[in-house]
Amino acid sequence: MSEARATILARLRDAQRTARLPGERPGTPRSLEFASRSPEECLERFQRELTALGVETYLEASAADVRNRVMTLVAGRRLLSWDPELLPYQLASVLTSFIILGRNTREEQAAAEIGLTGCDAAIAETGSLVLLSGKGKSRAVSLLPATHVAVVRRGDLYFSMGEFFRKSGERLAESAGCTIITGPSRTADIELSLTLGVHGPGRVVVVIGP
Amino acid sequence: MISPFQERVQAALGDRNLHVALDRATAQLGGRQSMALSTLENSDLVRDVARRAKMEILSDLGGNLKRFEGQLLANGAQVHWAEDGRQANRIILEIAKQRGLKRVVKGKSMATEETHLNAALAKAGLEVVETDLGEYIVQLADSRPSHIILPIAHMTREDVGRLMEQRIGVPYSDDPRTLAGYAREKLRDAFLRADLGITGANFGVVQTGTICLVTNEGNGRMVTTLPRVHVVVMGIEKLVPTMADLDLFLKILARSATGQKLTAYTTLIRGPKKPDEESGPEELHVVLLDNGRSRILAGETAEILGCIRCGACLNACPIYKNIGGHAYGDTYPGPIGAIVTPGLRGLRDWNELPGASTLCGACREVCPVRLDIPRMLLSLRKDCVEQLPNPLGLRIGMKVYGMFASRPALYRRLAKLGRWFLRALAEEGWVKKKVPGLAAGWMRVRDLKAPAAMTFQELWRARKGGG
Repeated sequence: MSEARATILARLRDAQRTARLPGERPGTPRSLEFASRSPEECLERFQRELTALGVETYLEASAADVRNRVMTLVAGRRLLSWDPELLPYQLASVLTSFIILGRNTREEQAAAEIGLTGCDAAIAETGSLVLLSGKGKSRAVSLLPATHVAVVRRGDLYFSMGEFFRKSGERLAESAGCTIITGPSRTADIELSLTLGVHGPGRVVVVIGP
Repeated sequence: MISPFQERVQAALGDRNLHVALDRATAQLGGRQSMALSTLENSDLVRDVARRAKMEILSDLGGNLKRFEGQLLANGAQVHWAEDGRQANRIILEIAKQRGLKRVVKGKSMATEETHLNAALAKAGLEVVETDLGEYIVQLADSRPSHIILPIAHMTREDVGRLMEQRIGVPYSDDPRTLAGYAREKLRDAFLRADLGITGANFGVVQTGTICLVTNEGNGRMVTTLPRVHVVVMGIEKLVPTMADLDLFLKILARSATGQKLTAYTTLIRGPKKPDEESGPEELHVVLLDNGRSRILAGETAEILGCIRCGACLNACPIYKNIGGHAYGDTYPGPIGAIVTPGLRGLRDWNELPGASTLCGACREVCPVRLDIPRMLLSLRKDCVEQLPNPLGLRIGMKVYGMFASRPALYRRLAKLGRWFLRALAEEGWVKKKVPGLAAGWMRVRDLKAPAAMTFQELWRARKGGG
């Protein structure tokens, strides 16, 4: 296949000589800077965007409140989770044996009702959750169950995606898969009529801790 | 004699059902897009910078591809180069054969529509399932997508209900939610059993070797998470320079495509799963597809390679809204297709597409990267005249017209005669007769408004004289 590579690159070299490409508008900068915002502003915007997306949101004042909230949400349901040790607010201490881990068989995972994850970052401007893949953080957890519960630490909020990309280059480089989740799974393929929960979770719940 | 293109257009214009579906789809989508783009902070500047980033890529596409390849390899991905669709399909079949992969799930990909990958896989005995809802329905109907982001823009909900009833044996319904539920059930099973996932790519980031995929349903995530092997088929033009640029493109893509700020899922892939990870593909392959793109780069329409496939120009185009996507006859419909298809497949067989436009410029207005689509359409029309054989009648006709047009006095006299003639033919203000000769094509499908009694210039002189 290196033959194809050489052929294509040679074609491109030739093409480049006659290519007609328009110049940019005079004064167009090479990149844009987007201002970051205060933590309060980020939090307010994050909640507003989540609500607009149809995401259930809980703002909790203490770690104990977060644990109680999560317990209420998952009690009695088949639960697929990140490795509990990787969840914030010592959630591991209260999650009991009904938990299914990301390393169970696919069928067991697919039978779970709730997926519980932490969150590596969150984007206020778009109401997005950023999940980086890694050991104990199976990508299936936020994907297979019909409900996804994500626990977000207030300190992990960025205002914009651009800010997150800029400040987290190294973390992004270490992770094979980064999933940015903005609201529930949706389709409008049939006559643009909105349906939630096609393949991913139709219900997304965000618990924001201190 | 009417051409296959004209035949498809005729069929589309006479299809009442198609117009119901198209009206429901394009009207809503067009409105949402323009709203969404206008609410973006600094949207003009964002579009300018995004455009600049694309043109920067295209000004050294080979060099950028080599850098991108280097990053992919460093990330642990395997890179393949394909000169055309057949080569791309062969590469993918080889990957499947060597590893004994049999069950394929696919994410939405225009590049693999272009290469007819599904047919090639099926012929080799592999099971292939399209998993985007629209594409799944297209596959059930054994048809082709008619819109870049809304594959079944040509179907009503009733059409979908009848199709599913026939093909997968579910009770008829015209409720989109119920229909989506049927598909979910069927596809869930396919996801869990699949061993090969194939997707396109929305963007490839040169700086980091990141593959970016955006989806709403979550099928793209399934395809890139569950199967053992993931193959990405991407056109060589889909690069952006840096992650900062990717941010700008994400800002404009969803807004221009569906009117969302961001699609539900943005997936950034940087290599196969790490050895200690519980999920994700063990192998990641990237197939870089030329298939005519280098030829487009060499010419007047090179700019079109900056297209990010948002579909906004389709919803804005008065021609698309009337004839739908299938009439364009190939993978890419609408204004973008009218430029890309002749570029990829050759102008000779696709010379009518650049004419399928009113040059109203609506496409250029809505294009998030400000591609000058009308300029490129005109340039292709010019190529048609200069490079392709033209009918004798047309050549003589243009000569004769040129003779009159360059002699104003003669031209005015002749125009007056023509006006008098048409007014004599008209009934109740319209010329409805079918006439033979040069105007036959025009008159076959529409009536001609009779000319006014006086021309503008005559009126102007008369008024000035009177006032």
